[in-house]
Amino acid sequence: MITQPDHVPERLALLPASAADRFLTEQLLKAEQVHGGIDLAKAVEPLPEDDARWAVEPIRSLVEDAMFEFRDDRTRADAWLAPRLHATLRLTRREAADKRLWTHLALAVAPDYVAWRHLSESTAARPERRIPAERFQGPADRQCFSRLWWAAELFRNGADYEPVEVACGNQDLIHTVLRRDLIDHRPTAQALVRLVKNGKITTGREINGLSVAVTAAGATLVYDVLAPDEPRDPAALRHWIAEAETAPPVSRHVLPDGPDEDPVPEESVAALVDHFTELFETAPVRGRKSEV
Amino acid sequence: MKIYPYKRLNRPITLRVTSVSLKLADGTRDQLDTSAYSTQQQVVALGVAGHEDWVSATIGLSATLPPGADVPDAAWSDVRVVAVLTDGETNVRTATHLTRDAEDSRDWSGSLEVLRDDHLGRASLAVDAVGTVDGVAGRSIAETDRSWTVDTVSDEPVGGLQLEVRKASFTRSSREWLRAYADAPWIVDTSARVPTVFVNTDVEGIVGLLNSSGSGVESKVRDLLVAQMATDVWTAVFHGAMGDLEVEPGGSPVFPTDWQGEVLREMLPDVVPGVHVEEALRQVHRRRTGDAGWAELQTRIHYAAIRRAEASRALGYAIRSLEQANRESEK
Repeated sequence: MITQPDHVPERLALLPASAADRFLTEQLLKAEQVHGGIDLAKAVEPLPEDDARWAVEPIRSLVEDAMFEFRDDRTRADAWLAPRLHATLRLTRREAADKRLWTHLALAVAPDYVAWRHLSESTAARPERRIPAERFQGPADRQCFSRLWWAAELFRNGADYEPVEVACGNQDLIHTVLRRDLIDHRPTAQALVRLVKNGKITTGREINGLSVAVTAAGATLVYDVLAPDEPRDPAALRHWIAEAETAPPVSRHVLPDGPDEDPVPEESVAALVDHFTELFETAPVRGRKSEV
Repeated sequence: MKIYPYKRLNRPITLRVTSVSLKLADGTRDQLDTSAYSTQQQVVALGVAGHEDWVSATIGLSATLPPGADVPDAAWSDVRVVAVLTDGETNVRTATHLTRDAEDSRDWSGSLEVLRDDHLGRASLAVDAVGTVDGVAGRSIAETDRSWTVDTVSDEPVGGLQLEVRKASFTRSSREWLRAYADAPWIVDTSARVPTVFVNTDVEGIVGLLNSSGSGVESKVRDLLVAQMATDVWTAVFHGAMGDLEVEPGGSPVFPTDWQGEVLREMLPDVVPGVHVEEALRQVHRRRTGDAGWAELQTRIHYAAIRRAEASRALGYAIRSLEQANRESEK
């Protein structure tokens, strides 16, 4: 297993895909050897000097704590790290959509975490253990850190990260739903979490069956009208981001607070919970016995 | 064509942008003129006025429902019209209700707020008419057939593939990775957010040639060169987009929501003619990931790229211009 590079940068930066490519070596993907860090530092595009948000230390210390705390069950680290990463690395969506930031975090700052979390288990079919390259550099819902940040962003209910913990505690939910644009509608995201939380849906097949049914019904039903959301207040987010300058490290034991945005209207969530429950009861789910 | 299990309107909603203004960081507003949007291209370009510090944009909208929306014996009631802005890159979804202009009118209007922090590039704007049909609320009864594009960066309202051209000395650039390509006149990078052509300024005269204008042989050669670059770009972006495809659990590929999706939609009709783009995407994906047929498809991909790049036209003009030059030198 690899450790952190000899040279870890002090500040986050942008690492373009074409420059990152030569550091994604076979040895790294097999978690045998990591680059030294010096050459990589020459290939990055720096971020503004005067912004405290780009300090690496708070993120480095978070991932180290995660690796220690969840050393016996690495998948559980997602639910712990997602809200804490989101509250530590405070970004606008515009900033978070820049994949170069996430590539730098994974390759330059914490490749050891990527290996720890995503190195495959040896199986009969694939005896060679390997880290999928997309965990370093890839789609937003696959890359090691961006998937956690976006899960936190899309599942938080205003300042409340509790739904994020629920969502990330179910690997099937973040694996299948994060890539679908249905959760871009906040009330839909909250309704899905609630169904998972109260045990209505649990398995991957159930989640998949429901999300297919929700998408299919969405072709004829306009959820924005059925379950309206409130417009978000951009000032609340800006204020929260500005506070990053003085914010203490996030608590390891209790959930942090997110930006002080209004929660999703409760009537909208309740309406969708009812609607989805009805859809789910009639949706085809592989392996489920139909009740006759 | 989609089949709906209830009555709806057959024709689409028409959507027009009627005004665009920016709110700047100092609290003032800048009302942009009509050059900020193109009704023909259905694009709004928020970078037109060159402001770096805008906070939000307000886009005035006017939507006209198709005939039949307001007949007294319609199958729907409680009609509402919403404008929905979506952005696949930032997962933003913003909905705004429009209001009816007059009691007996099919025109609805309103305004949409676009926050700068919420977008990196392009967002897509559509309008839905929604009503209660057969006792079911929230049914879509009509929508726009072609979405508007809201481009938060561009200074010109044009649709289609965005392409960035950068000039750099491949041997001396701070982008170290370019050094490996020092002997190439240009290379295409499709891994960036927007496909980028890097032109190697180490090739003497290339910048002068690319900047040449007028009607001489030189400008025809330039057009030919640009067509060649464009062919390279279209080919590369097609392969890049196919390689990055997300696949549904059932195995069918999903159209990407960013420029890669635009590229595929535009090229697929030439790559697999005669079928719907969704089916074309499935066929191409099957051939790429399956055992056979990928090599055979390359000719079609190249053909689609050459058509997009308008290479035949550039070549035709270059040859005519050379013939003319030869004739004149023989005189």
